[in-house]
Amino acid sequence: MQVRKAVITAAAPNQHTIPLQRLVDRQGHDKTALQLIVEETLTAGVEEICVVICPGDQRSYEQAAGDHLGSLKFVEQAQPRGYADAIYRARKFTGDEPFLHLVGDHLYLSRTDVACARQLVKIATEFQCSVSAVQSTRENKLPYFGIVSGDHVPRHDDLYEVQRVIEKPTPTLAEQELVTPGLRAGHYLGFFGMHVLTADVMNAIEQVLVSNPLSRPTLSDAAALLPGRQRYLAYRVQGTRYNIGVQYGLLIAQLAIGLSGHDRDQILTELVELLAVRSEASAAV
Amino acid sequence: MNRLIEIITSDDDAVRNQSLESVCENASLDVLLEHIKALDSFRRQEPNLYRRVRALFFLAAIYRYHLPHQLDPTQTGLIPYDGYEHLLSRRFSEAIDTFLESQNSHGPQDGLASSLAAAYHQLGFQTLADQVRHSVRSVRGNQWMFRLGHPDDHPLRIRPELLAADPAGVMPLLCETTAVRMDFSHSAWSDIFFLGMDFPEGARVLNVSIDLGVRGRDESPKPPIETYFRVIDRPVIRLVSVDLGAATEISTIADMFDFARDYLGLLKAAVIASGVVAPGLEGCQQPIGDLLERLVGPGMGIELVSKINDIPKGSRLAVSTNLLGSLISILMRATGQVTTLTGALSENDRRLVAARAILGEWIGGSGGGWQDSGGVWPGIKLICGTVAGSADPEFGISRGRLMPVHHVLGQDEVSHEVRQRLEDSLVLIHGGMAQNVGPILEMVTEHYLLRSQREWVGRQQAMKILDDVVDALKAGDIRRVGELTTENFEGPLQTIIPWATNRFTDRLIELCRKRYGKEFWGFWMLGGMAGGGMGFIFDPNIKLEAQRWLGEAAVSLKREMQTSLPFAMDPVVYDFSINDKGSFAKLYEGADAMLPDRYFALVLPDLLRTPTRDLSMQTRSDLQRIAQRCHTDRGMATTAAMLLDSVLPRGTEDSSRDASLGELLQSTGFDREQHEQVRADLRAGRIGLSQNRLSANTHIDDVQADDVTDVRGGVPKKYVDLGKAAIRNDEIAVVTLAAGVGSRWTQGAGVCKALHPFNRFGGRHRSFLEVHLAKNRWTASQFGGRIPHVFTTSYMTDAAIRDFVERNDRFGFDDSLHLSSGRSVGLRMIPMVRDLRFLWEETSQQMLDEQQQKVRESLRAALIHWAQSAGEANDYTDNLPEQCVHPVGHWYEIPNLLRGGVLSKLLAQQSNLKYLLLHNIDTLGASVDPGLLGLHIDSNRMLSFEVIGRRLEDRGGGLARVNGQPRLVEGLAMPSERDEFSLTFYNSNTNWITIDSLLATFGLDRSDLNDNEKVDKAVRRLALRMPTYITLKDVKKRWGHAQEDVFPVAQFEKLWGDMTALPEVASGFFVTSLRRGQQLKSQAQLDPWKRDGSANYIDSICRW
Repeated sequence: MQVRKAVITAAAPNQHTIPLQRLVDRQGHDKTALQLIVEETLTAGVEEICVVICPGDQRSYEQAAGDHLGSLKFVEQAQPRGYADAIYRARKFTGDEPFLHLVGDHLYLSRTDVACARQLVKIATEFQCSVSAVQSTRENKLPYFGIVSGDHVPRHDDLYEVQRVIEKPTPTLAEQELVTPGLRAGHYLGFFGMHVLTADVMNAIEQVLVSNPLSRPTLSDAAALLPGRQRYLAYRVQGTRYNIGVQYGLLIAQLAIGLSGHDRDQILTELVELLAVRSEASAAV
Repeated sequence: MNRLIEIITSDDDAVRNQSLESVCENASLDVLLEHIKALDSFRRQEPNLYRRVRALFFLAAIYRYHLPHQLDPTQTGLIPYDGYEHLLSRRFSEAIDTFLESQNSHGPQDGLASSLAAAYHQLGFQTLADQVRHSVRSVRGNQWMFRLGHPDDHPLRIRPELLAADPAGVMPLLCETTAVRMDFSHSAWSDIFFLGMDFPEGARVLNVSIDLGVRGRDESPKPPIETYFRVIDRPVIRLVSVDLGAATEISTIADMFDFARDYLGLLKAAVIASGVVAPGLEGCQQPIGDLLERLVGPGMGIELVSKINDIPKGSRLAVSTNLLGSLISILMRATGQVTTLTGALSENDRRLVAARAILGEWIGGSGGGWQDSGGVWPGIKLICGTVAGSADPEFGISRGRLMPVHHVLGQDEVSHEVRQRLEDSLVLIHGGMAQNVGPILEMVTEHYLLRSQREWVGRQQAMKILDDVVDALKAGDIRRVGELTTENFEGPLQTIIPWATNRFTDRLIELCRKRYGKEFWGFWMLGGMAGGGMGFIFDPNIKLEAQRWLGEAAVSLKREMQTSLPFAMDPVVYDFSINDKGSFAKLYEGADAMLPDRYFALVLPDLLRTPTRDLSMQTRSDLQRIAQRCHTDRGMATTAAMLLDSVLPRGTEDSSRDASLGELLQSTGFDREQHEQVRADLRAGRIGLSQNRLSANTHIDDVQADDVTDVRGGVPKKYVDLGKAAIRNDEIAVVTLAAGVGSRWTQGAGVCKALHPFNRFGGRHRSFLEVHLAKNRWTASQFGGRIPHVFTTSYMTDAAIRDFVERNDRFGFDDSLHLSSGRSVGLRMIPMVRDLRFLWEETSQQMLDEQQQKVRESLRAALIHWAQSAGEANDYTDNLPEQCVHPVGHWYEIPNLLRGGVLSKLLAQQSNLKYLLLHNIDTLGASVDPGLLGLHIDSNRMLSFEVIGRRLEDRGGGLARVNGQPRLVEGLAMPSERDEFSLTFYNSNTNWITIDSLLATFGLDRSDLNDNEKVDKAVRRLALRMPTYITLKDVKKRWGHAQEDVFPVAQFEKLWGDMTALPEVASGFFVTSLRRGQQLKSQAQLDPWKRDGSANYIDSICRW
């Protein structure tokens, strides 16, 4: 299985400008969030990228894409019918091929030399199936993520056979249904915002869209069907995700990227100075 | 291997279910000590919880029931105070070690045995409670709530549907209705968690969810429990109980854990158990707004309202557990923990709610069985204990799981027609009694673990009856159901717990049988004990007539018995129907999202006092909408009237109460001057709990052998003969002190203890008064002569006792039976905060279980606030007049014999009369024993007091050498509590009095008794020399629908035992057997009293 295509969703009505935000990358270059996401995608060997956007956003996105514009295609989600529907808009683009999927409001930072997306694609290629990137998530974050549970794949420390997928479960339900052996108490496998999905996933999405015409199904609703249809794995990626759509999310992401790169010393110095000034100001109060 | 350990560890039912008696009956002291040694060592090493617990109960029972019989009757000894302190602080293991060390050094003795029995018993229950708690916490779905420590980490969110306000800004209102549950066969208490977890096969219940209506008040039955939830526009959690008339706004997390501050403890427990304010947040200092910001949104809060349609407390229908279930369910729906927002619950959700209800009961410091949340399920269901499997957290710890399995019987098993037939036959009533069933549940657990032969057979029979009830129900044979439930009640249930019934219930059943004969199909006991909720099954042809009659009969019987049994309210008859929905929710939006009228009646007075500009938008909208409702035809008739009633002044109930209290005080010769003096002394700190004590430099020592006459080994024949002759010669009369209302006996319910029919003797329940008369009858029949019997009464007991005696033709005693009316009365006062603190902080208090202790501390803070706001040492008048006044101690009851002319009358009737035997109403063994009378006559003393060897429960003073002089010292007067534990003997308060010496002490002789003025003067003179003690007594205030509050109130008293301190009074002391001196102070003592043979002993000295 070769993953040549990627789908990035950026059509959520209240978050569609997030990928347009500007940051400084590890090398100190000024880039938009979209560029960083696209670069992450390209490192995984992807050749074509489809970005699902709100109607009317294409021009802004083209400007934000910089040098990578040539790799991008844009598809509009005409009605805000939710996350699953946004992916489904790219069905024609993906065709019968597996694809890498990333959300447009997350940035990723690998703890190794291999980018997160590349780690994931490697696993998907090896096991020839859909794989979702996950990370250990404390129960206080349950209201924000889709959660999976499953048993370890023998001889692979960070790989799980997914058995259940539930979007934003309550801690009560999570404790009853989603406990995964090997994690600390109160921790669950939460989606990382990055998946390799086979073409059949589009069928599962179609199924949930048809059966829930009035609601806004999420990817989790479709992913919950996968264990019954195909092999579906979850992989604990060696890295961290940063949700830039939440309060201070962009700032935290920028700090994380900056502190892991070229300008680390400069940022630290600035931070220390900031703290010192702040403490003087506090003392004055 | 030791045989008892073999019984505990065996996998073979035939061995494991053997009783302790089968091994220990008549075993010698050495053999018993061998068993004790083996069991104690076993319980220290055994990892399995249930085996350990059984060993603990075996040990407790050996020390309580077997070892004392094998001890030398004349042995004496002391109980180490350190051990007692450990026991009070719940350090049971340390207490046991201390007592055992003393036993090893000084040999076994009765006082130590009682202490060890108590320590093992409590350690057993503590171990069981810890296990249930552990299991509740470890149920999956509950664990996270104990990990959550900060509101910022809160993982729950309110469902978006509840945040969607309509265009006018009205928030949706979620309403949950829940049934209550009725237990078909009575489960023989097998729904106690401990039983279900140790003996899952035997834990089975047939339980039906029902809707209720009070006959004559409600149009038709409906789910009695309604709970409401909505989002509000203030960052608080508002809790409202419509029935209790209580509302509060919680603004800090700590306040949510303050259970006893108001009447909303159950709602708080629900909020906590549902995870909204998770138990892990206890101790967190954050404002609740921080938590609500996460849960609901900035500036928003939630409101939770409960309503139980005024179903009275004590209905035995598990109203409070099902209310808790309903509240938890609605909160879990609102936070998405239950999958469906509206409609019925799924089986998985019901189980989740039930598990949280168990948690809520623990958090709130209450307790219930595992079937109690049955109202959450629909219809009729068989609930069964389940053996723990390898995936269960209980596996390897207990045989059974904490949570049972519910099988809802379908229409194919019990058809609609059969359900209808049941409704057509069964009459449900609330008998009016609301008693604490806690002691009963402890007894059941203990009996089960000991596997006493009769009770174990009883349990097997109850299990068989359950099967038969299910069969009868499936066959649609309601008459058979009635036969079986009656058989269950009269057979196994009373075999297991004789206290399950009472005279009131027995009389009601008798009346039904007499009136309806074969058309009365049976009696059906509900819940822990009879007297509250009960079922009577009739032929459907006469059901309506019987229902009407039964309501009246129960009320008139209650009137007859209300002075002797603790009724909380008048009996009521219910209409009921089977609820086939279980807990069910609806979401109301827009104009329909209105809380019930009574909610507004409750909150309106406060809202009207608030300027409109200060009301939130939502409240203003609420008020506008309720105003609109008032303008409809129906609203004008009901809503408007109710709202008006809530804001306009009511009738003057209080002033009429004050008037009748005034009348009562006047009629009982209340001494206002003395009262004001007591008040002034109390406020000035001249008297009080700490001033009751003798000065710290008083030497308190144990008495020496020659200070007492030990008669436990028998009395020489010459004294017996002397006593017999005196009895024959009409020289003795008995005086029984019956002025009290038994504060400890019924926790301040204010019934006449003398008339309480506490145990079956001679085929029916008999009261204390009847027992004392029966002993008198027996003594007279043995030795000849005529023994006049006097009962001293007080304003609280006089009319009741007179009425009771007359109704029973004076029990054949004619003019030998006298009542001496109390002549002194005090008015209770609000306690001084100083005294409350002294009682709770300076005197030893039994620590409670962790959660109950928290509730108790919260309650104490509330009571201190009450004392301050009501005014320390002000008159206590906020209750029924009878509950506001108090008798002034038994010292006055002897002078009252002189003042009231009773002694004069006795002497006139029986000129030979020289001696009195005086004893407390609850000293059942006190009798005119010829040997003791002979000894007293021979001693020529004025007073001979009987004392007994001290057991752990015998607190309240004893016989001591005070600065070298032997005398009785009240517990209140002990300079230090430790002193009491250095005293071997406890005062039974039974004493022999030489009449002429008594009169001489008062400065009187027989001829003066008709001179009232002289007698009064003499009494007053001596009274001044007697110490006055301030005591705090619990008094119940009843309100609402069988609700009760208990207040500690201050009163003063003078006590008869202090006569021994007067230098001119010659006093002697007899050491008598425990059976003779044992007192029954609380109902929890009844069971061990019956089991250890004391009841049989009393029966043997009575003639009925």
